[in-house]
Amino acid sequence: MKNSIACLFALSSAIVMIGMAALLSGPASAHKTPVTPDQLKAYDESFMEAVKKGDLLFHGDGETAKAMGVNLSGTGMACAMCHPFAADTHPHEYPKFQAQVGKFSTLRDMVNWCIEKPMQGEAIDPESEAMKDLEAYITWSNTGSVLAPGKY
Amino acid sequence: MSELDKTRREMHAVLQKPGEHPDPSLRLSRRTFIHKSCLFGAASLAETFGWWPIMNTMEVAQAAEEPFSFAWISDTHLYPKSVNTRFVDKITRAAKEVQAMNPPADFLIFGGDIAQLGRADELELGNEILKEVKIKKVLIPGEHDWYFDMGKKWTDLYGQPNWTFDHKGVRFIGLDTVTHGPDYWTERHFTPEQRMDAMADLDGSIAGPWAGVGRDQLDWLQKTLSSWDKSKPVIIFSHNPLYEYYPPWNFWVRDWREVNDVLKPYANVTNIHGHVHQVLYNEIGKMRSIGMLATSWPWPYAPEGVPKLTKPMIRVDPGDIYDGVGWSKLTMNDKSKIDTDYVMWGRKEVFVQSPADSSLYSQEILQPRMADKIGPY
Repeated sequence: MKNSIACLFALSSAIVMIGMAALLSGPASAHKTPVTPDQLKAYDESFMEAVKKGDLLFHGDGETAKAMGVNLSGTGMACAMCHPFAADTHPHEYPKFQAQVGKFSTLRDMVNWCIEKPMQGEAIDPESEAMKDLEAYITWSNTGSVLAPGKY
Repeated sequence: MSELDKTRREMHAVLQKPGEHPDPSLRLSRRTFIHKSCLFGAASLAETFGWWPIMNTMEVAQAAEEPFSFAWISDTHLYPKSVNTRFVDKITRAAKEVQAMNPPADFLIFGGDIAQLGRADELELGNEILKEVKIKKVLIPGEHDWYFDMGKKWTDLYGQPNWTFDHKGVRFIGLDTVTHGPDYWTERHFTPEQRMDAMADLDGSIAGPWAGVGRDQLDWLQKTLSSWDKSKPVIIFSHNPLYEYYPPWNFWVRDWREVNDVLKPYANVTNIHGHVHQVLYNEIGKMRSIGMLATSWPWPYAPEGVPKLTKPMIRVDPGDIYDGVGWSKLTMNDKSKIDTDYVMWGRKEVFVQSPADSSLYSQEILQPRMADKIGPY
């Protein structure tokens, strides 16, 4: 009995997982059918989950950093201490020549510069989940700012 | 119109009635006059910057009995030395420079946020370093000093958070704008650490509109001023600005209406404040306000509400921990004016010289953070 309940639970979990995967990745023909409200909700939740984790990393939340295996600061400082509401991050102005980095840079290059220099932490893989989450938070927070790529 | 806009418009409707401005016996310096006329003349950004005179001091007309100067240090945000020493180095440098002033300053005002997380060792570290300054010292608290132990250590070291004294014809008042925050911790069963962490996030929403003067202190302020001639100079030190600049970061006091009611009869009031970590200048009703630099780090100008009378500080280099920060030398000179001299380390030009030098040149639209609204609170 116990086993069959466990089996049932595993089976239903698997069905839910497959359903979620289908919703998020979509079948091969997803782009050929009208988007459903459930899909839109799932896409939005996926984005906001990244924003939330990015917000926590940006504000120096130790548990989130530990769970994601990153060490963004060696000084006790956090990104938000100089960038409340992600002010002065200007995601809408990248890519551009970034004087501090000394070369044509993306937002991710500058995030890593801030981690390594002022915060004295360990740079993260530009393709990592933590970097994508930071980027998600920074760009979300600047929603509505007008694109001005290349601006000093 | 956003809620913020509505409230700010109300502030101007209440405080800036047609024709009301600081008492004409305060001599507006030519420099102040120039930048006022530029701004009210609806100049474009480029034209405005083109007109700014090159100067590193701001003059505020006053009428003291004899010349003297005082120094301001604030927002040192000390961590224990084991965590980092950069902020320790900077308060030490400021303290040495204040002590080396020649002629010496009459006193040092420390404008709050000596500690980062309100711990006793942080407050004691700051207290030790400030012993370098042998002249008279007066201190007011910042929110970072207070919300770990609710001011116990701070008051052990420095006593009452608000005070007054008269010096050479000026009534000085130290106002406490940080200890009257609403209780956000009891219902959430916060530990002292959690209470302090929520307060330490400038852009957090949990601690709410904590900056305020409070009814008791307003009554005290009114009583303190009642024995003072209404035309004589009053200088009020506070951690937060006494007007509404940007409430989401508590760049204000929530009871600015009541503060204005108390100060209204006095023609010669200057408010000098910390908390904003940036150059600011404003005139509200009859009161002038001057924002001071931090020694720790500079904060960006808020996305809305920067006073039109502020000549912005220069955009700083995040790679230099001594850029955009420092202390201030305030000299009441023999022409009976105050020169506010921002000692910004490593900079000859404190104010922007061209649009590209200003962080306001890069326009941004920002929204409040979200993760602290959906936490396990």
